[in-house]
Amino acid sequence: MATLRLHSLTGAREEIPTPSFVSNPRMLSPSFHCNKKRVSRRMTVNAMGGGAKYKGTLMREKKLTEMIEKKVTEAKQVCEGDETSDECKVAWDEVEEVSQAKADLRLRLEVEKKDPLESFCQENPETEECKVYED
Amino acid sequence: MAVSTLYTTQALNSACSISTPAKTHVGFHQKQVVFYRRSSKRVGGGGSGVITCSAGDSQTVVIGLAADSGCGKSTFMRRLTSVFGGAAEPPKGGNPDSNTLISDTTTVICLDDYHSLDRTGRKEKGVTALDPRANDFDLMYEQVKALKSGIAVDKPIYNHVTGLLDPPELIKPPKILVIEGLHPMFDDRVRDLLDFSIYLDISNEVKFAWKIQRDMAERGHSLESIKASIEARKPDFDAYIDPQKQYADAVIEVLPTQLIPDDNEGKVLRVRLIMKEGVENFSPVYLFDEGSTISWIPCGRKLTCSYPGIKFHYGPDTYFGNEVSILEMDGQFDRLDELIYVESHLSNISTKFYGEVTQQMLKHADFPGSNNGTGLFQTIVGLKIRDLYEQITSSKAAAPLEATKA
Repeated sequence: MATLRLHSLTGAREEIPTPSFVSNPRMLSPSFHCNKKRVSRRMTVNAMGGGAKYKGTLMREKKLTEMIEKKVTEAKQVCEGDETSDECKVAWDEVEEVSQAKADLRLRLEVEKKDPLESFCQENPETEECKVYED
Repeated sequence: MAVSTLYTTQALNSACSISTPAKTHVGFHQKQVVFYRRSSKRVGGGGSGVITCSAGDSQTVVIGLAADSGCGKSTFMRRLTSVFGGAAEPPKGGNPDSNTLISDTTTVICLDDYHSLDRTGRKEKGVTALDPRANDFDLMYEQVKALKSGIAVDKPIYNHVTGLLDPPELIKPPKILVIEGLHPMFDDRVRDLLDFSIYLDISNEVKFAWKIQRDMAERGHSLESIKASIEARKPDFDAYIDPQKQYADAVIEVLPTQLIPDDNEGKVLRVRLIMKEGVENFSPVYLFDEGSTISWIPCGRKLTCSYPGIKFHYGPDTYFGNEVSILEMDGQFDRLDELIYVESHLSNISTKFYGEVTQQMLKHADFPGSNNGTGLFQTIVGLKIRDLYEQITSSKAAAPLEATKA
């Protein structure tokens, strides 16, 4: 195991072992940041590598996508009259809610690579929602 | 002698389901005494017919996390639960749209579950989710109090996909309960139940940049719609959510970098960890010399950094009238040795072994913020909470046993 020698600010010499898991310093590079790739569309086509596995999840994804589009349109309409009205605030709050829900789902699928229905579908494999998505 | 009310219990396993009405002045639970008729082989001291549940078994430490970034699924939550060990998963076999996360030691509850109005209800009344009128603080208080006392609860589920309130799910009292959402510190009764509280304060520019990253790929969204959504929610946010930061024991403030002039991409960040002084079981992280003011650029002869580098600042300050210590990092880590170098110079980080912060950061290298102060400070806060938990539970175990004076 490689070791580092460091002078700490107090001047004492310390022997610091580098943990053996440190093999890929590239992991810290900024390109790991989520925003670099637009991969949300890839999920609906590729069920294999970390995408949605169950029909229920795909349906939720689709529903959220449609809701975002619909609620943005609604919000724009409602706010045309008065931007400071309660209705306008609520409309954009709904947009935020569904956008966040979609992002959470995306994070779950892409980063954690787990279908949220996994444990539910293990108990209930015959339900419509738990049909495995085939390409 | 403390007198407890009699309850019938169905099973005595890890958590005793009896609440004790009296609390000591520091909020520790007294020993709970259970009397029952039938003797059972499980009871060690069966002769006297008394089971005592030691307070250590049912002690639940409650952490509050205020964040506007969804619930129980945020990066911060994942880092926190990872520090305590194990991965947090949604409850198995229950409602697939549950917001709750459960690991061996920790349960994370999303405060959206305490919405008193569902999406339709809020639309009718003209209130956003940020508005206190959309939330049932009485229920929130009752249930958090119950869980803290070792009693399981049936907690409602707010379904973010349908916008409806679903049938409740059973939550058993965990060792560590985290309540995450928009209003953990809004109600003063709930606030008093918290052993530690954190507020995630994202500045407007960074919020805008993050939401662009989050939403631009979505059909229907554009720069204008993202901006409009933030603007429309701002009045309620400023009125109801933002004021909670004065109550937080730790605030993580995320701002645009000062290292790159006119940077508006929000990729390089300046992150400030604002830690309240005098909080029980919490000693703030510091650089070099506690209580002094330090400006530190680690890049130089021993450490080469790439542009824009890393800059630290540490010092005492006041925040909303409270004495605080602020540790600040501007810039990002590009290489592992930068992270190790920085870790080795921080004090009071409550690690159990050298390099633990680095190890935790690497474990989640694909999470946003893994190369800057957000990941670093979230990880450190996680370790401080672990330390706080261990201090609370060990001091309870050492408390003298007096309940058996009857």
